[in-house]
Amino acid sequence: MAIDPITFDILWNRLIATVNEQAAALIRSSFTSIVREAGDLSAGVFDRQGRMVAQAVTGTPGHINSMATGMTHFLAKFPVETVKPGDVYVTNDPWMTASQLNDITITTPVFKNGKLVAFFANCCHALDIGGRGLSADSRSVFEEGLQIPIMKLQDEGRPVDALFELLAANVRTPDEVLGDIHSQIVGNEIGAKQLLSFLDEFGLDDIEDLSEEIINRSEKAMRERIAALPDGNYHYELRIDGFGEAVDLKCNVAINGDSIAVTFDAPPAVSRGINVTLNYTRAYTTYGIKCAISPDVPNNEGSFRPVDVNAREGSLLNAQFPAAVAGRHLVGHFLPSTIMGALSDIVPDRVMAPGFDGLWDTHVSGVERGTGKHFSYTWFSSGGTGALNGQDGLSATAYPSGIAGVPCEVIETVAPIVVRRRELRPDSGGAGTYRGGLGQTMEIEVLTDEPYLFSGLYERTENPAPGLKGGHAAAPGDLVTTPDIGLKPKLSELIPAETIVTLEIPGGGGYGDPKDRDPEKVKSDLKNEYISEDAARTLYGL
Amino acid sequence: MAYRIGADVGGTFTDIVLSRDDGSRFLIGKVLTTPDRPDDAIIAGIRDVMERSGVQPSEIAHVIHGTTLFTNALIERKGARTALITTKGFRDAIEIGREHRYDMYDLFMKRPEPLAPRYHRFEVDERILADGSVRKALDEDEVREVAKTLKAEGVEAVAVSLIHSYVNDAHEKAIHKILQEVAPEIVVSISSDLVPEIREFDRTSTTLANVYVKGIAEQYLARLKDRLSSELGLSGELFIMQSNGGVCEADEASRYPILCVESGPAAGALAAAHYGALLGHNDILSFDMGGTTAKASVIVDGKPLITNEFEVDRQYQFKKGSGLPVKVPVIEMIEIGTGGGSIAKVDAMKRLQVGPESAGSVPGPVAYNRGGTNPTITDADLILGYLDPEFFLGGEMQLDVETAKSILTREVGAPLGLELLGAAWGVHQMANENMASAARIHAIERGKDVRRFPLFAFGGAGPVHAFGVARILRSPRVIYPLGAGVMSAAGFMTAPLALQFVRSNPSRLDSLDWNSVNALLSEMEDQGRAGLEKSLHGDAITFERFADMRYVKQGYEVRASIAGGILDQSNVTGIKEAFEAAYSELYGHTMNADIEVVSWRVIARGPKPRFDLPELESGTGTSAQKGERHIYLPDRNGLHAVPVYDRYKLDSGTRLSGPAIIEERESTVVINGEADISVDRYNNLIADLKTS
Repeated sequence: MAIDPITFDILWNRLIATVNEQAAALIRSSFTSIVREAGDLSAGVFDRQGRMVAQAVTGTPGHINSMATGMTHFLAKFPVETVKPGDVYVTNDPWMTASQLNDITITTPVFKNGKLVAFFANCCHALDIGGRGLSADSRSVFEEGLQIPIMKLQDEGRPVDALFELLAANVRTPDEVLGDIHSQIVGNEIGAKQLLSFLDEFGLDDIEDLSEEIINRSEKAMRERIAALPDGNYHYELRIDGFGEAVDLKCNVAINGDSIAVTFDAPPAVSRGINVTLNYTRAYTTYGIKCAISPDVPNNEGSFRPVDVNAREGSLLNAQFPAAVAGRHLVGHFLPSTIMGALSDIVPDRVMAPGFDGLWDTHVSGVERGTGKHFSYTWFSSGGTGALNGQDGLSATAYPSGIAGVPCEVIETVAPIVVRRRELRPDSGGAGTYRGGLGQTMEIEVLTDEPYLFSGLYERTENPAPGLKGGHAAAPGDLVTTPDIGLKPKLSELIPAETIVTLEIPGGGGYGDPKDRDPEKVKSDLKNEYISEDAARTLYGL
Repeated sequence: MAYRIGADVGGTFTDIVLSRDDGSRFLIGKVLTTPDRPDDAIIAGIRDVMERSGVQPSEIAHVIHGTTLFTNALIERKGARTALITTKGFRDAIEIGREHRYDMYDLFMKRPEPLAPRYHRFEVDERILADGSVRKALDEDEVREVAKTLKAEGVEAVAVSLIHSYVNDAHEKAIHKILQEVAPEIVVSISSDLVPEIREFDRTSTTLANVYVKGIAEQYLARLKDRLSSELGLSGELFIMQSNGGVCEADEASRYPILCVESGPAAGALAAAHYGALLGHNDILSFDMGGTTAKASVIVDGKPLITNEFEVDRQYQFKKGSGLPVKVPVIEMIEIGTGGGSIAKVDAMKRLQVGPESAGSVPGPVAYNRGGTNPTITDADLILGYLDPEFFLGGEMQLDVETAKSILTREVGAPLGLELLGAAWGVHQMANENMASAARIHAIERGKDVRRFPLFAFGGAGPVHAFGVARILRSPRVIYPLGAGVMSAAGFMTAPLALQFVRSNPSRLDSLDWNSVNALLSEMEDQGRAGLEKSLHGDAITFERFADMRYVKQGYEVRASIAGGILDQSNVTGIKEAFEAAYSELYGHTMNADIEVVSWRVIARGPKPRFDLPELESGTGTSAQKGERHIYLPDRNGLHAVPVYDRYKLDSGTRLSGPAIIEERESTVVINGEADISVDRYNNLIADLKTS
C-alpha cells in the first residue's frame, strides 16, 4: 500500500468510527427494547467484494460473525454490477445469516460518483416474525415464521411496498417490526454518509486498498498468535440439556503451524428448533478462539481466515434446510466454552470455565386484563459466567453475547407483567479457588384473566456448567410454576392466567480447588450471602 | 461595582480568579491543592489574591466554588458506610445492573462494585405498579425495624429507592420520615426526590452515589463557609458550580452533591461559551487538553448541551457501560484518554496507539527525567520543537530532549520503520486525529456539523495541539484565551444560578391531561422560585421548560423546548413541531407515528452574571519576538525556523502570520501551518486557518 503507516492507522480508526455511528443511530431510533436496551444487533462495513472490514463495538458474535460470512450470499444474488444507488437488500435466511428467522439482516450499498464503494450492513432481532412465536418447539423452519429470501427492500430509493405489506400482515407486532426495519435502514444511511465524507476528506475513490491492508494485517496477527501455540490436537466435551435428551458437544482443536482446524462431533439434527446452521457454528467458534488467544486482534475477514470450522452435514451443528432453528443459540452459545475447554490444556490462564452460556430468552404473549388488548413481549436474562485463573466469574452477566437485560420497570411499563422479585441465587456459582458467577432468580406474574402463552428458551436446567482445573460445577437452572403445572423449558405452552413462573437462572463453573480459596473471600461471600454457611463449611472448609 | 471570586480545586492546582463585574480588574492566583483538606488551599489562595489586589472583604459579593472532592471520594471509595432500602425482591437490582458486557472479548472484564455491599441492602415488603397504583401498602413497623438495624450496624448513610417510585413517591417519603424519627443521625437520599425517572438500576445507582458523598459534602461545605467568614471576613453567599453549568447555593449542593460531580469540566465549557459569545461566535467547540485526558464539548447558540447520561468510576477509563450510572444533568462532553502524558506504543498489528494509558505526572514523560521509560505525547511535542526544553512551565522544569529521542526511536520509530521525526510527527498527528474523531462523533451525535465551529483551546496541552485538530476538523479558526490554565475558574464567573426539576409522567401527546401537566409544571416552577428567591428578586428568575418525548414504543427520548404559561390542546401542534425538529436534527428524518411525552422538565435560572474581560491597549507588538526556533512543519516535511513570541508582550491589534510559536507560562501556542494570527482587545489570540 502506497500510503504511510500513520495515515493508514488514521484511516483505519476513521472506518471504525463510521460503523460506531451507524450502530448508535440504529440503537437510539429503535422501537423495541430488545434492540435499544438489550443491544441485540450488529453493524459493520464491507468492501466491494463483500469482505467485512470493521464492526461496531456492540452486539453478539452470532450477529456480527454470521453477518460477516453472510454477505457473500447477498452478492451472489445481486452481483455488484447490478447493484444500484438507493437499493437496500434484506434477508432472514437462517442458513445464510444468523440462523434464526427473527434476525433480519439489511444491507445498503454505498456509491461515490456513481461507483459502488462499500456496503453497510446490520442485523437486528425482530420482536416478532410470525409463526409460532419464538420457541424451540417447531418441527421445521416453516413453522417458525415468515422466511424472507434475499430480496430488495428498497429499489433505487423506492420502498418495495409489497414486502412491507407482507411483513406487516405476517407479524404480531407490525409497528415495532416495521419501525425497527426503518431504524436499520437509517443506521446504514448514517454510516454511508460518514463514509462518503471520510473518502472525500482523504481523496480516496474507494476503500479497496485500505480493506486489503486491514484484512491482511489482521490475518497476519492472528496467524502469529496461533503459531505461538504448541501444535497438536486438543479435545473437550461439554454436556448440555438439548431437547429432551442430553447432547454432548465434542470438539477437536487441531493446531498446525499458523492455522487452527476445529472439528465438532455432534449428534444428528433433531426434530425441534435447537438446530444450528454452519454459519452460526462458525461464528461462535471464531469468537471463542478470539477470546482466548487474540482478544486485541480486530475482528474482520482477516482474523477469520486462519480458522477452519467443520461439523458433519446434517448434524446438530450443521443442520440442513428445512430444520427448525429458532432456538439455535441454545446450542450455539455453548461453543465458546467447548473451545476454551479444549484450549485449557495449553493456555490455562487465558480461558474461562464454562458458565450459564445459553442466554435465557423469555417470551410471553396474551391478552391484557382490563383493556383486552393483545400483548407480546420478549426479554433476555443472564446467569453467572465461569471463573478464570485469578478472577471470580461475574454474576448475572452476559456471555457469550453482549446482550443486556431489561429493567423491571421497563418490562412492567411496556407489558402487563409484574416482576415479583429479581435477585441473585446464593450457592449457584460453582465452588473453586475462584468462584463461578451467581445466577439470578426472576419471578413473573402476568396481569391477565385468560390463559397466556409462555415460552422459555432455557438451557442448563439439568446439566450444570462444569468447573475447570478442579473447580466445581455450578448449580443447574430451574423453571418453577406456582401452582405447579409442570411447565418445561423450550416449549411454548398456554398456561392458566394465575400461574406464577419462577426462572432460576444457572451460575457459572468454578476454577481451581475450592480448598485453595482465600479464606477472606470465603468469609466475605458468606457475609454477603453469595454462599450459604453449609457451602462455606463443606466446600471451602471454613 | 462588586468583586467576585472563583475557586477551582483541581488535582494538582487550586486556581483562584478575582474579577470586578465591569471587567476593570481580573487577577489570577494558583496554589498547590491540599488534597486532605481542600479548603486550606482555597483560603490561602483567596488570601493571596486579596492581598495582591488590596480588595476589601466587604467589596466581595460572593465566592463561586467547584471541586472534584465528591468525584474523588466516589472513585477512591472513601465515602460513607452506605446502605440501601428497596422493594422486597429487588435488593440485587444494583448488582445485577444491566447484565451486559461492555467489552465483548476481554474475559477478564470487571464490573464496578456497588456502593452498598449486599449485606447492607435491605428490603421492605411494599409494591407500587407501573401505573402508580399501590399493590402492597408499606408496613411502617417493618421500616422501623430496618431503621433500628441500620443504627445497630453503624450505617452512616442510606439511599431509599423503591420500584416505580418515580410515578408514586408516597412510600419513599414515608420511609424517609420514619428514618428521620428513628435514626436522625443517618444521612438519607430518596430516589423520587433526586431523580424521578424510570429504570431502577440507574435511579438506585444515582441515589446511592449521592448519599455516599452527602455527609462529606455537608461537612466540607459547612467548614468552608465558616472559614471564609471567620478567617477572611467574607460573609457573602458561597455558590457551588454544578455539572449542568449553573451554580447553586452551598445548602443545595450539600443535599445533592451528585449534581456537582463534573463541575470543573462543565465550567471550562461555560468559559468557552462566554468567550465565544464575546467574539461573536455562538457556535463553538470547546477543546480542553490536559495531562491525561482531552475533552471536547459542542456549544450551540451560546449554550453548552446538557445530557443526563453520565458514569463515575469507570473500570475501563473511557468505556461506556463500565462505570456506575449517574442520571443527573451534566454538560455534554466527550472525554478521551489523550493528554500530554499519554503513552505511545506500537501494537501487535504494527499499529501506532496513543493513549489511553498515561505516564501521569509520576514518572511522567521520558523528558521529565523522573524514570519514565514510555514515550508520551509531550516527548513527541518536544522532539518536534513545539515545546522549548528551557521554557517548560515558564522555565521551572528542564526537559531532557536526548533521552526522549532515543526512547521514541526505540519504541515507535524502529517498529514502524520511521525516522525519529516521522515517528514523533506520527504520535502528534495520531493524538490530534483521536481527539478530532472524538469531537466529530460527539458533534454528530448531536446532529451538528463541526466544520463550521471555531475551536476554543485551553488546558495545559490544548494550545499545543489545537491548530492540528482544527485542520483535521476543517475548523475555520482557533481561539486561544490568555490563562488557558484557569479557564474552569473563569467559567464559574459566567454561570447563572440554576435549579433543575424533572417529573416522569408518560402519556401520549394527543391525549394529555392538561390539568395534571399544568399542575406538574407549575409545581416545579414554584419549587424553583422558592429555591432561588433566597438569593434573587422574583422578577429576575426565568424559567425554561422542556418535554422529553419519543415516538410511542421507542426507548430513548428527545428533548425539546416548549412554551411557558398555561398549556392546553392548542399547544399540541407547537410541541409536536419542536419534537420533530429535534428528532430530525438527530436522525435526519421524522416518522408518521404517535408521539408520547415521558418527562417534563423545568430549569429555573437567575440572570447570567456580568463578566467582562479586561481590555488591552492597542500597540504594535513588534518587541514581543523572543527569537526563533526550529519546529516541524508538516506542509514542508521537516524542521524549519519560525519566530517565537512572548504572549505577555503582544498588544491588542497585533497581527502575525503562521507558522509561529507563542509562549506563555502555562502553555505554548503552536501554529505549525499557514494562518493569520491576531490579538483581540481581550488578549485572546486568534488564528484563522488558511484553507489549503
